Amino acid sequence: MLLYIFRRILIMIPTLLLTSALVFTIMELPPGDYFESYMAELQAQGEGVDKARIEFLKKEYGFDKSPVERYFIWLGGLLQGDLGYSFEYQMPVSELVGSRIFLTVLVSFATILLTWLIAFPIGIYSATHQYSWGDYGLTFLGLMGIAVPNFLLALILMYFANVWFGTSIGHLMAPEYLGQPMSWAKFKSILEHMWIPVIVIGLAGTASMIRKIRANLLDELQKQYTITAKAKGLHPFKALVKYPLRSSLNFFVGGIGGILPEIVSGAEIVAIVLSLETTGPLLIKALQSQDMYLAGSFLMFLALLTVIGVLISDIALAFLDPRIRLQGRSTR
Amino acid sequence: MTSMLLPPPGSPLEHYVSEKPFDPKSIDRLSAAQERIYLASQWRLMWWKFKRHRVAVVSGIFLGILYISILFCELLAPYHYQSRHIDHIYSPPQRVHLFHEGQLIGPFVYGQKYSLNMETLKRQYEPDRSVVHPIRFFCRGDPYNFWGIFESDVHLFCPAENGTLFLLGTDRLGRDVLSRIIYGARVSLTIGLIGVAISFMLGLIFGGLAGYYGGIIDLVIQRIIEVLQSLPTIPLWLALAAIMPVTWSPMVVYFAITVILGLIDWTGLARAVRSKLLSLREEDYVLAAQLMGASPVRIIGRHLVPGFMSHLIASATLAIPSMILGETALSFLGLGLRPPITSWGVLLTEAQNINIVALYPWLLTPAIPVILVVLAFNFLGDGLRDAADPYK
Amino acid sequence: MTNAIDRRRFNCILLSAPALGVAGYLPASARDFIEPPYLKDQIEAKRLPPLQERIPVKPRVIDLERMGRKPGRYGGQIRMLMGDPKDVRMVVVYGYARLVGYDENLNLVPDILENFEVEDGRIFTLRIRPGHRWSDGHPFTAEDFRYFWEDIANNEKLSLTGPPAEMLVDGKPPVFEVLDECTVRYTWPAPNPAFIPALAGALPLYIYAPSHYLKQFHVKYAHPAELELKVTSARVRDWTSLHERMGRMYRPQNPDLPCLDAWCLSTAPPSTRFVFKRNPYFHRIDTEGRQLPYADEIILNIGSSALVAAQTATGEADLQARYIRFDDYTFLKSAEKRGGFNVELWGRGEGSRMALLPNLNAEDPVWRKLWRDVRVRRALSLAIDRREINQAIFYGLGRESANTMLPQSPLHRLEYQTAWTRFDLDQANKLLDEAGLAKRDWDGIRYLPDGRRAELVVETAGESTEQADVLALIRDNWLKIGIKIYTRPTQRDLFRKRVYAGSVVMSVWSGLDNALATPDMSPHELAPTGQAQLQWPKWGQHYEEKGAVGEPPDLPEVRRLLELYLAWRQSRSTAERAVIWHEMLKIHADQVFTIGTVNGTRQPVVVSKRLVNVPEEGIWAFDPGGYFGRYLPDTFWFRDTAE
Repeated sequence: MLLYIFRRILIMIPTLLLTSALVFTIMELPPGDYFESYMAELQAQGEGVDKARIEFLKKEYGFDKSPVERYFIWLGGLLQGDLGYSFEYQMPVSELVGSRIFLTVLVSFATILLTWLIAFPIGIYSATHQYSWGDYGLTFLGLMGIAVPNFLLALILMYFANVWFGTSIGHLMAPEYLGQPMSWAKFKSILEHMWIPVIVIGLAGTASMIRKIRANLLDELQKQYTITAKAKGLHPFKALVKYPLRSSLNFFVGGIGGILPEIVSGAEIVAIVLSLETTGPLLIKALQSQDMYLAGSFLMFLALLTVIGVLISDIALAFLDPRIRLQGRSTR
Repeated sequence: MTSMLLPPPGSPLEHYVSEKPFDPKSIDRLSAAQERIYLASQWRLMWWKFKRHRVAVVSGIFLGILYISILFCELLAPYHYQSRHIDHIYSPPQRVHLFHEGQLIGPFVYGQKYSLNMETLKRQYEPDRSVVHPIRFFCRGDPYNFWGIFESDVHLFCPAENGTLFLLGTDRLGRDVLSRIIYGARVSLTIGLIGVAISFMLGLIFGGLAGYYGGIIDLVIQRIIEVLQSLPTIPLWLALAAIMPVTWSPMVVYFAITVILGLIDWTGLARAVRSKLLSLREEDYVLAAQLMGASPVRIIGRHLVPGFMSHLIASATLAIPSMILGETALSFLGLGLRPPITSWGVLLTEAQNINIVALYPWLLTPAIPVILVVLAFNFLGDGLRDAADPYK
Repeated sequence: MTNAIDRRRFNCILLSAPALGVAGYLPASARDFIEPPYLKDQIEAKRLPPLQERIPVKPRVIDLERMGRKPGRYGGQIRMLMGDPKDVRMVVVYGYARLVGYDENLNLVPDILENFEVEDGRIFTLRIRPGHRWSDGHPFTAEDFRYFWEDIANNEKLSLTGPPAEMLVDGKPPVFEVLDECTVRYTWPAPNPAFIPALAGALPLYIYAPSHYLKQFHVKYAHPAELELKVTSARVRDWTSLHERMGRMYRPQNPDLPCLDAWCLSTAPPSTRFVFKRNPYFHRIDTEGRQLPYADEIILNIGSSALVAAQTATGEADLQARYIRFDDYTFLKSAEKRGGFNVELWGRGEGSRMALLPNLNAEDPVWRKLWRDVRVRRALSLAIDRREINQAIFYGLGRESANTMLPQSPLHRLEYQTAWTRFDLDQANKLLDEAGLAKRDWDGIRYLPDGRRAELVVETAGESTEQADVLALIRDNWLKIGIKIYTRPTQRDLFRKRVYAGSVVMSVWSGLDNALATPDMSPHELAPTGQAQLQWPKWGQHYEEKGAVGEPPDLPEVRRLLELYLAWRQSRSTAERAVIWHEMLKIHADQVFTIGTVNGTRQPVVVSKRLVNVPEEGIWAFDPGGYFGRYLPDTFWFRDTAE
C-alpha cells in the first residue's frame, strides 16, 4: 500500500513538469505579449500611451530575455513558492489570488452542497421508481439545469432579482461592503447575492450527478445480494440505503479528484457574467490580456490541485474497494 | 388415488402411448412468438426495448425532424438570414390572427405603425388593425443560394407583398429572428456531430490501447489524460483559439473549433473504455481469440468493442449536447464562431445584454431550441443506454 | 501631515504678498472662509491648519456664476463604476489638476501654476503659486521640479530612454534653471510649441514630483541600508522599480504618495472599491469662500465592464459615462425614475465615429498602387450613404462628415466637413472608371489591373457591433460601384500587428482622436508620425524610429504633411500655427487619406438627480480636457448635503 502511494507521488513529478511546460507554451503561443495588448487597449480608447514607462516595465519583467530563459526563471520561482507578479494588477500573484480565495471557496462549497442536496433524493427516487412519471418529471427538471446556457440564465436571474427583490446587480455583496471587514450586515448581503450563482452553477452539476447516482444505483439494485436481501424480508429502506447505495458511492470517491480544482477556480463564465469577486474572472482576464505570471502560476496551482486530488481519490478508492487494489496490473 | 393401485406382479403396466408420429426435434421447434424473440439479433432486441421508453422515442423523432429540416432551411425560413429591414429595427413579434373583424381570412398578421420616441430614443411599434397582410404559402420571397448549387427564391411561407412577417421579432439590424434561428440550426446541430466523432475516435483508440495492453502504455496514457484533465477547459479553449490564424475563412475556423472541442473532450470516454476493457479482457472468449491467433486490433474491434457498444452509443449521444453548449460558451467568450456565421451560440451572445433582457426579450428565443435539443439528446441517450443494457 | 507651517521659507511670498494677506484675494462677496465639515475633526485636533493657511497665497478662484453655474455646498460622495483596476487613473484624468489646463472654450489657462510666460516660443518661465502645498502639507516648490529634471528624467536608470519626448527639441534637452523658490525656467535653443499642450494633456507630461517623499526611494538621497530594506520588503528587483512603483502619479497605487489633485487615493490595492478623499491643500476655491472640491470623496467600484450599464440603471452610480454605450440610452432612460438620475446626451469628440483607413503601406502591390490614386479614395468616400448610416444607427443624431474637426473647434471649416461626402454613385463610378478599373465581371464587380476581382477584406478590431453594422450598410452601396468587401473581425492587438505588417488592405478604426483642436495643439495625427496610424503605419514608424525602420513617405502630399508638422514644431506664434493647421486640414479634405462617416455621435452621461453643476451638453473626449476634466468636476455638488 505504501509502495503504491510512494510510486504515485513519484510519478506526479514528471506529470507536473510536463504540465508546466504545456502551460508555458500555451501562454507564449498567442502572438504578442501583455504590454502590446495594454498599448492596444489604450489606443482603442483614444487615450495616450506612456511609451517610456512601458519600456521600463518590459525590462523589469525580463521581456528582453528569450522564452526559454523566462520559462526557467518562472519555474525556479514556482519551486520556491514565488508565484510571480501580475502586470495588470501590479502586485504579487499570491496576494491577488489569496484575497479572493475565501469567497471562491464559500461559493463553491455552497454550490456543491446544493448539488448534493438536490441530486441525491432525486437520483434515488429515479432509480427506485424507474419509468414512472415522477422519474421523467424530476429528470426533466434536473436536465433543465444543463440545457439552459448558464450565462444567459445568470443574466436573466440577476435582472429579475433586481426588479423583484431589489438586489443590487452583480458582485457577491452590495457595493458599500466591498473591501470592508466582515460584519453581520455584510454577511447578510453576501447571502442575498450568493443564491444566484449557486443556483446557476449548481443546477448544471445536478443533472450529471442525478444521472450517475441513478445509473449506479440501478446497477446495484439488479445484483443478487439486493434481491436476496429483499427476499429475506429486509426493510426496503435498509435494503436500499445500507447496501446498494454504499456500493454505488464508489464513483463519488473517484470524483473527488476533480472537485478540488473546481472549488478553487469555480465556474468562470458565470462568475464573469455576474462580476463575482472569485478567482475565475481573474484567470480569464489574465489569459485574455496575457498577464503571464498570473495566468501561468494560477494554472499550475490548479494542475497541482488536480494531481493531488486524483491521488487522494485513488488512494481512497484503493482503501475502500479491495477489487481495485488487487487488480489493474498489466496482463501477460 | 385408488386407481393408482399397483398391478399384480408380472402383469403388464398400463401406460399411455401417443398416436402422433415421432418428431425428435419437437422441443427445438419454437412457436412464432418465441422464434421472434430468440432469433432476434442484438439490434432488434435493443430496438424493442428502446420503444418502451416513450419519451426517448419522441425525442428521437423530434431530432430526426430537426436534422432533416437542416437540409431545407432556406426553404423553411421566411427570410434570408442576412436580409435587413432598416425600417423594422427591434420590432416585437407579430401575432398571427385568423379572424379579422369576425371573418375567417386565413392566417395573417397586421401591419405595423412605427414611431420613434425622440425623448427616450425608443422605437415604438403599434399593430395597425386596418392593414392586413395575409401569409402566403409556397411563395416567392427573399432570393437565396441553395447549398451553393442553384439560386431560388421559393419559401414554404413568406410575408405578404410589402408586408412583414416577424414571428419572433427582429434584431438591431431588422433581421428576422425566426429565420436566423432556422439557419443557425444548421451550424449548431452539425458542429456537435463532427466534434463527437473526433472525440469518439480518440477515446476509443487511446482507451482501447490503455485497457488492452496495460502496463507502461496504460501508465503513459493515464498520465496524459491526467494532464489534460488538470487544465481547466476554458483557459485551454482560450489558448487554443488565440493561436488560430486570422487568415482562415470562417468555415475553416468552424471546423477548427469542432476539432478543438473534440480534442479536449475525449478523456472521459477513454477512461470509460479503459476500465471496461480492463474487466472484459479477462473473459474466456478473448483468450480463445488470442489462442486462435487474432491480432490485437481484431480482438479489440471485433470482440471487445461490441460488448460495450451500447455504452459507447449512449456516451456519444450524451456528448453531443455538451458540444452544442460548448459552442455557445465559446461564442460567449468571443472565441467561437462570429458573425456573419449564424449559430445559436452567436445569436445568444448578441443577446447577452441587459438592454435586451429588459427591452427586447424576444431576442432571447434562440435559447429555446438549444434547451429542447439538449433535452432531446439526453432523453434519447438515456433510452439508448437503457435499451442496450445487457443486464435487463 | 506636517503641523509646522514654515512661512519663512517662502521668500517669494514676503516679496509679493500685500499686507492684507490672503483674504485680500477674495472677492468682496466672501467675508470668511468656510471649512469643509469633512475635515472638521482633523482641524479641531490640530492635525490640519485652518483653511487660510492650507490654500496658496493666491489660489485659483473659480467664478461659478460667471460660468453660468451655481456655487455649491460641501459634502457627498460621487460614486462611479469602472471595469478594470487600471481605471483608477480616471480620477486623475477627470480631476484634471494640471500645471496648465484647457477650459470650456479650449483656452489654455494656468491651473496649478500661477502663471507662465513664453518668450520667442522657446523660453518658458513657470511660476508656482506661493504657499501651495502637497496633500500631506509639505510645500510644493521649485525643488520638486528640479528633483524631477535632474534625478528622474536625467537619471539613466529611471528613464531608460532619457527625458520625455516633448522636452526634446531636435533631440536636445532644455537648460533648466531654478530662478527662485517659486519660479523655474526651461530654455530651448529652438521653439518648443508642444511643451505647454503636453502639460495640459489628459495624460499629462509630469515635470514635477513629490521630492520630499520620493527621496527616500532614490539611491542618491536614501540611506543605503534602509533603501535595501525597503527594496526587499516590497519584493522588487531594485530601487528603480521601487521608486517607479511608489512614485506613480498618473495611475496611483500608493496611498501615501502626496498629490496635487482634488481627490487623493486612500485605498491600497488590490481592491474592488477605491476611495479617493478630498485633498485638504487643494489650490482652487470658489467665490463664496469654500475650498474646492465640494464633494468629499470619489468612490470607484470596479467590476465587470459588461455590467456597468445594468448597475447604473439601478442607481449605483452618481456620475457615469465610461462603459456606457449609445445603445444603452433607451434602457437607461426607462430606468431614470427608479434609479434617481438623468441621462444627458453629450457629443463625442472624435473626428469620425468610424473611419475606413485604406492601408497605403499594404503589402499587396495592386491595392497599394490603387490607394495612391486619389480618385479611388474619393470614389469610395462618395459611395457611402452617410445619411442612411446616421439614420439607421445613430437615430439621425450624428453629423455626416469627413474625418475632420468638429464644429466646436476653431479650426473647423464647412468645406473640410463636406469634402467628398455627398452620396453620389454616378460620380464614384466615373472616378473608378477613370482610374483604370472600368472592366467589370458578370455580377458587376470590377476587375483589378492584374485580373483579380475587386474584392477586399476589411479588418476590424472586432469589438463593437456598431462597426459591424455600419460596414454592412457600406457593403451594399459599394457593391453598386463594383467593389466587394468582406468584413473580418480580429482580436485587437493581432489586428494592429497585421496592419503594421501590411497584411491588411483596409482597416476600420475611429477617426481623429482630437477633433477639437486649436492651432496651439499638436497636429501629429494629420502627419505620418507614428506607427499607430493605421493608414500609413510604415511611414509613421519611419518618423517615430528616426529612420531606423519603416519607409519614408513616397506621396508628395504626405511628404508635405510631414514638412508642415515639422514646421509646426518650430513655429513661434499662434497665427503661424493656424496657417499650418489649415493647410494640413485642407490636404486631408482634398486627398481623403481616411474615409470618415459620421461624427458628433452621442455619448450618454448619467448624472444623479442630486448632483448639480454637471453641464447638460458637453463634448466627451479624452484629449483635450480629460472627459469631465474641462468641466471642473470639483465644482459638482450634491443638493442634499448636510451642510
